[in-house]
Amino acid sequence: MATIKIDGREIPFEQGDTIIRAAHRAGIDIPHYCWHPGLSVAANCRMCLVEVLPPPGRPAMQLDILRWDAKKGDYVPARKPKLVPACQQGCTPGMEVLSSTSEHVEEARSAVQELLLLNHPVDCPICDQAGECRLQDYWLEHQRTGKRMQQEVVHKPKAVVFGPTIVYDAERCIICTRCVRFCEEVVQDPVLSVRERGNLNEIVVSPGKQLDHDYTLMTEHVCPVGALTSVDFRFKARVWFLRSARTVCQGCATGCNAYLDYDPRNNTPYRHRPRDNEHVNKYWMCDEGMLSYKRAVENRLTSALVGGEDATIEDALDAVKEQLAGFGDDASRVAIVLSAQHSNEDNYALLTLTRTFVGAKNLYVSGRPLGRGDKILMSEDKNPNTRGVMQLAGSMAPKPIAALLDAVKAGKYSFVIALGSELEVDEKEALGVLSKLKGLVTIASHDGPLVRAAHVALPAAAWAETDGTYVNRQGLAQRSEPALRPRGDATPGWDLVTRVGKKLGYAMTFKSLSDVRRALSAETRTDGGANGAARTDADRAATKPEVSA
Amino acid sequence: MIKRTAQTTWTKPAGGPVTGKPIARPNRTAEVQAYFPEFVRGLAVSMRHFFKNTKEMMLGQKPDPVLESLEEGVTTICYPEERRPYPERFRGIHRLTLRDDGSPRCVACLCCSTACPAQCISIEAAEYPPGDSKRGYERYPKTFVIDELRCIFCGFCVEACPCDAIRMDTGIHAVPYDSRDQFIYRKDLLMEFSGRDGSRKSANPRHEPGDPTHPGLSRDHMEH
Ligand code: SF4
Ligand code: SF4
Ligand code: SF4
Ligand code: SF4
Ligand code: FES
Repeated sequence: MATIKIDGREIPFEQGDTIIRAAHRAGIDIPHYCWHPGLSVAANCRMCLVEVLPPPGRPAMQLDILRWDAKKGDYVPARKPKLVPACQQGCTPGMEVLSSTSEHVEEARSAVQELLLLNHPVDCPICDQAGECRLQDYWLEHQRTGKRMQQEVVHKPKAVVFGPTIVYDAERCIICTRCVRFCEEVVQDPVLSVRERGNLNEIVVSPGKQLDHDYTLMTEHVCPVGALTSVDFRFKARVWFLRSARTVCQGCATGCNAYLDYDPRNNTPYRHRPRDNEHVNKYWMCDEGMLSYKRAVENRLTSALVGGEDATIEDALDAVKEQLAGFGDDASRVAIVLSAQHSNEDNYALLTLTRTFVGAKNLYVSGRPLGRGDKILMSEDKNPNTRGVMQLAGSMAPKPIAALLDAVKAGKYSFVIALGSELEVDEKEALGVLSKLKGLVTIASHDGPLVRAAHVALPAAAWAETDGTYVNRQGLAQRSEPALRPRGDATPGWDLVTRVGKKLGYAMTFKSLSDVRRALSAETRTDGGANGAARTDADRAATKPEVSA
Repeated sequence: MIKRTAQTTWTKPAGGPVTGKPIARPNRTAEVQAYFPEFVRGLAVSMRHFFKNTKEMMLGQKPDPVLESLEEGVTTICYPEERRPYPERFRGIHRLTLRDDGSPRCVACLCCSTACPAQCISIEAAEYPPGDSKRGYERYPKTFVIDELRCIFCGFCVEACPCDAIRMDTGIHAVPYDSRDQFIYRKDLLMEFSGRDGSRKSANPRHEPGDPTHPGLSRDHMEH
């Protein structure tokens, strides 16, 4: 493979790469504002200037400049090499680039940084970006001097409402046009544009329009400074108090890789933001997914319910035993409902209980109803693990909930053990049908129709509170790390299933998550096929080092 | 059950003779035996201090307590009526400074609570309500609580504050209270204190959003 040299280090590049892209891939950081790996090149911030050495035997392109001579007290003529933006300059084999080893580059970066901060309000105390702001980081890395301009800065509109989710501050904006390019290139809804020139320029929304497509929060995320702020996150937290867990978005079957930022001190999640994964979501997430972090705390089932009344888990397990005692060993009277909302581990535990002990052959799957999809990221299937459930159940082919309701109406089942709370059918009708059952035990993390219909409901930990594997629509199994401590009495779903199994008198052997995982992976390996292959692929994807642009 | 094995050094060995060295009694002279001369002498010392203090009080001749403390021997002052003067930079109880319109200068940036090594500051940020002239530009502390009992008076919070919003220039010495919750100072109380000289003027005035000197908040102001 052809290579270029950056600061003496040889790195490979692919045909058509720019210097910054090759460097980015090799883990070399060239400072940049306007360049984003997922967007086109604008080359307007000039932060990425590098010195490209001329081919051997050729003179370097030089510029005549005047340099201040303190001794003489006057400007003297001097020369310096012409620098090029690394984000725009393509690589050619054997090219030699000086990035952090050239004094001209260092001088240029410091000067660019000073220019960008000339009219900046330095709102950092009020600014939501403080703590993760490029201007702050690069000032420390590349400038470290005060600015020389003493005049009042140019004041521009502040707190301009761009749409229901985004507020814009023109004074902080460095006109990198990342937000403009994002709307145009990724969402293809070009509502943003730049107006005016020089130090009066600002981003505006097209007249009569609003920034209200499905990816508005991404504009805030790609903004390297605090010019765009999200109404949802505004003023809520300071990022240096937040910790991040690598999660998988639960919004739909796409399974976007995300970071869940939470405050460990009060066990509260504050935001979801995309985690780069070339194979799944590239660098993006939709608004729905970014706001789905709220589901980790909202509408939760935090204690066990017996007949709708709060109970301890122990009491609830006793009630489960009582409820299910009636089925004797007649497995045909029991239906099992898996959940496309829960992780592979939870579903696998229930499946083990079903196949090995209860003996039921009637599998159904619950989940949220279909929603809107698009060609960018959003899937119509709003469940994160539909494919995982289908793969796990294999030949037992779980049927949709509507089929379960029909069967219950026909009096086929008297008992149901269910995972998850959501149903894709009309709730009223479902409740009416399910009330015919002799025993309905639901293990769920959130409140929902299945919980309201249940005789006994057990509180499972939500995805943000436990480790879990989810298989997205491409068949990629991805791990989601826990962030929060479980709320109330919640414990992981697989644990509750195991305890239900034990209560019913079966020798369920899962003691820890790794037990479940081991059994799960042993089984999927013997299954062979796409499933096993997908898992290794996914492991690779999940452990890929994260580079943020 | 623990068995007592040996006698302790505190008990006399059973049956053993008492050992020890006899100490000579002090010489009891008649002067020592009679308490009256000593009583008179003691009274004289008291009276001397009484008259000296009274005279100094009347004539305002009290020595400087700071210089006095440099003298030899133990000197005391009648705290709290009398106090040693605190140095200029004495760090007293915190206060929150105010803008001209009476709103707190604090923008709830949490820099102070981040810097605080005792972790005794807790702040909840909020946005000004709709209609407020500062809405959108500024945040403010919905709650601002300092646990003065935990505070170690290091002054890091004052150093960290980018808005000159928190200061320790009240000159108020940590006050003794009789219950813990009285040491929990909330926003309203902290905003009531003024500097030692009674002033509330900021040392670093700036354009505040919402005040008429703040230029260019909307597109109408753009004529540069
Ligand atoms: S954009 Fe960055 S530098 Fe500007 S106010 Fe915000 S945090 Fe500070
Ligand atoms: S709002 Fe942010 S992303 Fe958009 S041009 Fe300004 S600095 Fe760049
Ligand atoms: S003086 Fe020190 S310990 Fe006290 S509140 Fe400030 S930073 Fe915390
Ligand atoms: S007192 Fe100062 S440092 Fe503390 S939150 Fe307010 S503005 Fe920030
Ligand atoms: S990153 Fe190259 S010019 Fe902005």
